Amino acid sequence: MLRIAIVGCGKIADQHAEQIAYIPDCQIVAVCDHEELMARQLQERLNVPAGYTEVQDLLDQARPDVVHITTPPQAHYSIGKICLEAGCHLYIEKPFTVSHGEAEELIQLAERRNLKLTVGHDAQFTHAANQMRKLVSEGYLGGPPAHMESYYGYSLGDGVYAKALLGDGHHWVRKLPGGLLQNTISHGISKIAEFLTDDGLEVVATGFRSELLKSIGETEIVDELRVIIHDGRATAYFTFSSQMRPSLQMLRLYGPKNGLIVDQDLQTVIKLPGKHYKSYLAQFLPPWGYAKQYIGNALGNMRKFAKADFHMEYGKRFLIGAFYRSIIENRPAPIPYHEILRTSRIMDEIFSGLRLTPKTPHPESACASH
Amino acid sequence: MNVLTSRLPEKMTQSDLIIGADDPILITGSNGFIGSRVVNTLLRSGFTNLRCFVRPSSNLADLDAILKTANGARVEVVPGNLLSRDDCQKAAKDVAVIFHLAAAGDKSFPGSFMNCVVTTRNLLDAAVQVACLRRFVNVGSFAVYSNWNISRGGLLDESCELEHHLVERGEAYAFAKLKQDELVVEYARKHGIPYAIVRPGAVYGPGTRQVTGRVGIDTFGIFLHLGGSNQIPFTYVDNCARAIVLAGIKPGVEGEVFNIVDDDLPRSRQFLRSYKSHGKRFRSIYVPYPLFYGFCWAWEKYSKWSQGQLAPVFNRRRCATYWKGNRYSNQKLKDRLGWKPEVSYSEGLRRYLEFVRKKG
Repeated sequence: MLRIAIVGCGKIADQHAEQIAYIPDCQIVAVCDHEELMARQLQERLNVPAGYTEVQDLLDQARPDVVHITTPPQAHYSIGKICLEAGCHLYIEKPFTVSHGEAEELIQLAERRNLKLTVGHDAQFTHAANQMRKLVSEGYLGGPPAHMESYYGYSLGDGVYAKALLGDGHHWVRKLPGGLLQNTISHGISKIAEFLTDDGLEVVATGFRSELLKSIGETEIVDELRVIIHDGRATAYFTFSSQMRPSLQMLRLYGPKNGLIVDQDLQTVIKLPGKHYKSYLAQFLPPWGYAKQYIGNALGNMRKFAKADFHMEYGKRFLIGAFYRSIIENRPAPIPYHEILRTSRIMDEIFSGLRLTPKTPHPESACASH
Repeated sequence: MNVLTSRLPEKMTQSDLIIGADDPILITGSNGFIGSRVVNTLLRSGFTNLRCFVRPSSNLADLDAILKTANGARVEVVPGNLLSRDDCQKAAKDVAVIFHLAAAGDKSFPGSFMNCVVTTRNLLDAAVQVACLRRFVNVGSFAVYSNWNISRGGLLDESCELEHHLVERGEAYAFAKLKQDELVVEYARKHGIPYAIVRPGAVYGPGTRQVTGRVGIDTFGIFLHLGGSNQIPFTYVDNCARAIVLAGIKPGVEGEVFNIVDDDLPRSRQFLRSYKSHGKRFRSIYVPYPLFYGFCWAWEKYSKWSQGQLAPVFNRRRCATYWKGNRYSNQKLKDRLGWKPEVSYSEGLRRYLEFVRKKG
């Protein structure tokens, strides 16, 4: 039985707790938040034995095996470090840390102490993402991807989070080195980082403020980002947009032979055959094939739903479950560390390219709710 | 004080009130649907020293319109965030009464809790430092009651049991409001803060177009009329504001809870018919309570079986709370605060539907 603790009792913590409840052989033994009331509310709702306001007290008294860090990202490194030093495995919400240097230190410390860690890039473990990975490993692309396109749409027009962020000049997201981008883009970046290498990685980024934000007088937040990444072998485009409609969560992979489109919103995986048809057949046969694929995807999704295997947070449940199994069976963690590091490195380069300078962490942010 | 007594509808003498006309009053959430009416009621009642706490990003159009009519009164608009202890200290400094209306709904439990309970704690901590505080009026929610053990049509009033299964009901906001009430009571016990809690029913009036969920829901693309012949615990926004104000200024009600509902409460069917005829037309389907209760039971079971593939948003307890049907009383409000609804249901409905019509 794994003893689990959650540090940071905000909205994301609830999502973790909901999924942990369905994973066998584990139990949430303690929660912690700098804000006592927030710790108390989670403890009470989940019927958790202990609640703390100090991480060290939690580690000393509850002695968890695994700690989920769901605080604002500014505190991930410092909390992660003391948890590792106390001998705990770590599941850290995205973004992993606020810099590549911090990410390296945590991973090195985990390796030195023979502990495991992972990051909440759960979008990499949805049904569609898992199917895509299987097709790639089976060689459908005809080799490693030559080019990738990752789209990450984000709506500022609705949603409590966006309203809270735009309405609060002191919101913790504003204090991140990369601001809103840092808190959101790692899902989209990690999808391409999975297929890149570290050799000669070049990142070119441009970011700007949308007309919507300008119209409401916003002067800090950058909500439009375009990135080109080149690792000497493959290229990738990354698009983050608050204005683009439809608001896509999509990955396109192009190999030497075929391509794939993975749509996270629709949970579809569409094969793009590289085959060329003669004359008008090129206009007749491929659309027919795509229609069949979309119907197949829809039926497959319905089948999974009927079997109660199509949960909204499937990726999170899958990742947490896989991480716990890796601990119990002493196997590699589900997300390779070099991918975590590559993602943080690309993000650092994006923010330095945009000249988004690090900001002083908010003193109250440590261990506060996410 | 003469001005004050002449403007309040009831005959009051100075001894009828716990504060003077010039004593400072803090209103949080003062630019909200109810908060702005509380400010208006206070001004109309002759109170001349108001501090209106607003979020920095708020649209102040409604409040500004009211403040334009504040002839001679000192009204300070204080932008701030109740999550900031400093902002709370500044807001509460030297006030005689606090009307705490600020609350931001959030679908998540932590979000609602943060916006209702943590903010209230900060305000209460600030209030503890205020030696001259005479009353802390906490504006709660009607949804904190449980009617699980009350039969259909039974009376639901201030003496009824509070809901202890709000997590099971899946109601983040109601959970937070209940915890907020509990916190106020805890501070009263520990620090002697004089308080009153008010729990408005379904507040309606110009400023909102929403049809209360007690009438029905439009979750499935068509409006499901679930209220049937249930009485709806309406309170017209101005009547509600007046009750809140009275809870803050009348003596002898420390530690009391007041439910706010009007007289002549309509049936759900009657209200819906009026809304569609004189407000906005839309299609609706009547679903009898036993049928919807069965649906909620099945949904709840499926949610459990499927390990949360569908969240248990429809469940039996929630169904009972909103659509089982109860009777409501405002007797305590009348007896202890001398409140009576100034705006009748028919007049309130006319004003409300005129607003709905204009806004489309």
